[in-house]
Amino acid sequence: MTASSVLRAVDVSKRFDGVVALDGVSFEVHAGQIHALVGANGAGKSTLIKVLSGYYDSYGGHVELDGKPVSLHRPSDAIRAGIEVVHQEVDTALVPTLSVAENVLIEHLAERASGLWIDWQHLRRESSRAMRRVGLEVNPARAVETLSLHEKQLLLIARAVRRKARFLILDEPTASLSLREAQLLFELLRDLARAGVGIVYISHRLGEVRELADVVTVLRAGRVAGRFQADAPTEQIIEAMLGTATSDLYPERPTRGPGEVVLEARGLRRQGSVEDVSFIARRGEILGITGLVGAGKTELLRLLFGADPLDGGALYLNGRLLRLRQPSDAVKAGIYLVPEERRRHGLLIESTVRENTTLPFLDKHTRWGWLSRRSELQSAERLTRLVGLTPPLPELPVKNLSGGNQQKVVIGRWFDGEPKAVLFDEATQGIDVRAKRDVFDLVHQWSQRAAVIYASSDIDEVMALADRVLVMRDGRVVAEVNPRQVSREAVLALATGVKDSIA
Amino acid sequence: MSADTLQRAVPSPRPGRELRRAFADFLLRYGMILAIVALLVFFSAVNRNFMTLGNMLDVLRAVSILAIVAIGLTVTVVVGGIDASVGATTGLAVMLATALMVIWRAQWWLAILISFAAGAVVGLINAFLVIRLRIPDLLATLSTLYVVSGVQLTITRGDAVYRGMTNPYSPERALTTGEIQPEFLWLGQGMLFGTGDFRGIPVPVVLMLIVAVGFYLFLGHTRHGRLLYAVGGNPEATRLAGVNVDAYRLTAYLISALLATLGGLVLAARIGTGGIRAGDPYLLDAVAATYFGFAVLGARKANVFGTVLGAIFVGVMLNGLTMMNMPWYLQDVVKGAVLMASLGLSFYLKPKST
Repeated sequence: MTASSVLRAVDVSKRFDGVVALDGVSFEVHAGQIHALVGANGAGKSTLIKVLSGYYDSYGGHVELDGKPVSLHRPSDAIRAGIEVVHQEVDTALVPTLSVAENVLIEHLAERASGLWIDWQHLRRESSRAMRRVGLEVNPARAVETLSLHEKQLLLIARAVRRKARFLILDEPTASLSLREAQLLFELLRDLARAGVGIVYISHRLGEVRELADVVTVLRAGRVAGRFQADAPTEQIIEAMLGTATSDLYPERPTRGPGEVVLEARGLRRQGSVEDVSFIARRGEILGITGLVGAGKTELLRLLFGADPLDGGALYLNGRLLRLRQPSDAVKAGIYLVPEERRRHGLLIESTVRENTTLPFLDKHTRWGWLSRRSELQSAERLTRLVGLTPPLPELPVKNLSGGNQQKVVIGRWFDGEPKAVLFDEATQGIDVRAKRDVFDLVHQWSQRAAVIYASSDIDEVMALADRVLVMRDGRVVAEVNPRQVSREAVLALATGVKDSIA
Repeated sequence: MSADTLQRAVPSPRPGRELRRAFADFLLRYGMILAIVALLVFFSAVNRNFMTLGNMLDVLRAVSILAIVAIGLTVTVVVGGIDASVGATTGLAVMLATALMVIWRAQWWLAILISFAAGAVVGLINAFLVIRLRIPDLLATLSTLYVVSGVQLTITRGDAVYRGMTNPYSPERALTTGEIQPEFLWLGQGMLFGTGDFRGIPVPVVLMLIVAVGFYLFLGHTRHGRLLYAVGGNPEATRLAGVNVDAYRLTAYLISALLATLGGLVLAARIGTGGIRAGDPYLLDAVAATYFGFAVLGARKANVFGTVLGAIFVGVMLNGLTMMNMPWYLQDVVKGAVLMASLGLSFYLKPKST
């Protein structure tokens, strides 16, 4: 690892079926540097890292390593050049049923030189050494499928370190990490950078980018839209991402009197995840729920939606006891959920926008048992306009949409209903700034018609949107705060358990 | 893909690749139909008797049972499962209906009713295993296959059913006195819409058409059909959209078992006896027909139209090969090889996801 090491992409272009994804992008990362790559969804970030990781057979331009052109046309080319990638979906790079040790040394297993018989001692020793290096303390014999996301990421980094990676690329590594896990990861990355590894860090979260990176490159529509030192003002970076001056990210909070109580929870309990949660939600207001990842927010919303059974407590809708055996009961009662993982729990990914938006209320498009495609199309067109889908094509398969647009589809599908309470779970996860703004607007629109419960581990977001905020920790609501009277730091202290009350 | 990337779309610089892509798409959409036409042309060229109305109706009559069973299987594939017990259920209906009439002298309509009831029980057992006990569908229905297959033999203590057989339950081995009634035989041998010089359309073919059109409309044009596909696409997302997913999966297994039963009744009526394990070949043939149908018109999913074409393809192939004096023991080899080729084509040429 020489200090002068540099990985450089020169004038790289890539198009798919005529659509330009990268248009003459140049980019370089030096050994010991943490270089952040930011941009809206579809800006070309993942295409660029795929080029650098040898994913594509052909592309325009070339890549240089230490000033010499290097051929990257197969993943093995990249690994040989010392370039390693930790993808956002870590599971694609792991074999869940094999042990930790086998996963760390997976390419060792594939080598003919390693012989016919597996040398367990060697595996264990080697993998333990690599894992110590990244601060991962798990039994090497454990099956990878039992690891947490954070542990899996560390495992992949350990694998890269063992292969003597000179450049490490991480794609949205903190998207589903808790605050503490993210901090541990940052420490590790700084540590690796000090040891001379060049790091490319991709993220939507500008806060952590500024905290971690030395340099920030902004991509927009396949081109480099700006390059900044990490201490540049956030507004400038956002402006480069959007291509326009930043208007306020959060919509104006409308002044309104609270409406009648719609949903009331009394002592809700779910073994192992939710303990004794009570609250009321009123029409015309946004009730925020925040807390760290794993605090029980998702589990609480699933109880409110009937996706999991209650182990105790009771729910009241408009003053009447509500018994939910399954989500269809909740939907009938007017309670709608925008779930956390839209690809897994929100969408029929192979189906069209129309089929996804009309899914919950198909009976509205049914006459004498007959499904009317015309009625469906009308409704889908109306909904796509309402949520501002781009492009506004109801017959497009949702898998061709960006994350932000996919989320709009999931939100839009409920517009045809008669909502009493609408639940949002991490609604802006992994979507770009512009789409975020759109989602916030939709949340506000919903709050005119129904009680909105908005759960997110992004404290700033919840504080900016909600009228009241419940702070959760370890399955309990530890405080209810007024976001206009309490600081972000105070809420964070409550969420992390540094403090137990605002007083 | 955002709006501005779409607008900047430019024609691909490689016309050769475009052409190959277009050819592959064409094969995917129309390959199955082309294959059927090719078979028809080929067989009528080598054998004069092939392309006659009589033979075509024979082919369709043979196809109809398979098509009915395969449509049931298709519904379970639509919800993301599979029903490996359809052949056994078909066989159960054959034995149960004939035994009821011959051994226990039941009326034809009662025999039919009891057979459907038994079929429904099989469907409910499958649904219970898959939905409640969460056994993977293939394993669950394979175990049902075993049990149902055994029950089928147990009904007659292992004998075939025919008029005048010895009563397996009689200690003095008395002969049975029941018969398979003409009303029942009509299901498999009757003709409809005949005129002076036209024999008419066989009842099984009419039944197949009713089932095919009915389920084509049901799956493609009703709310319930859409939701069955949604369940197969992403069960959890569908559940969180407020759909009672378990009810739809149960319905699918019920439909599958009931259509397998209907197929069995028609089969028994066509042969006029209750043959041991008569339903067995229908499992693999139905699976083949369903997966042949995957690619028809580029559907890339299980669908009724495709399944019926798949069944016709299997039927035409077997009829033609038989008329060419291909030995029966080679037919499975040919069937399997053609299935390999077809699956290979539809999965290998799978349109690139964008």
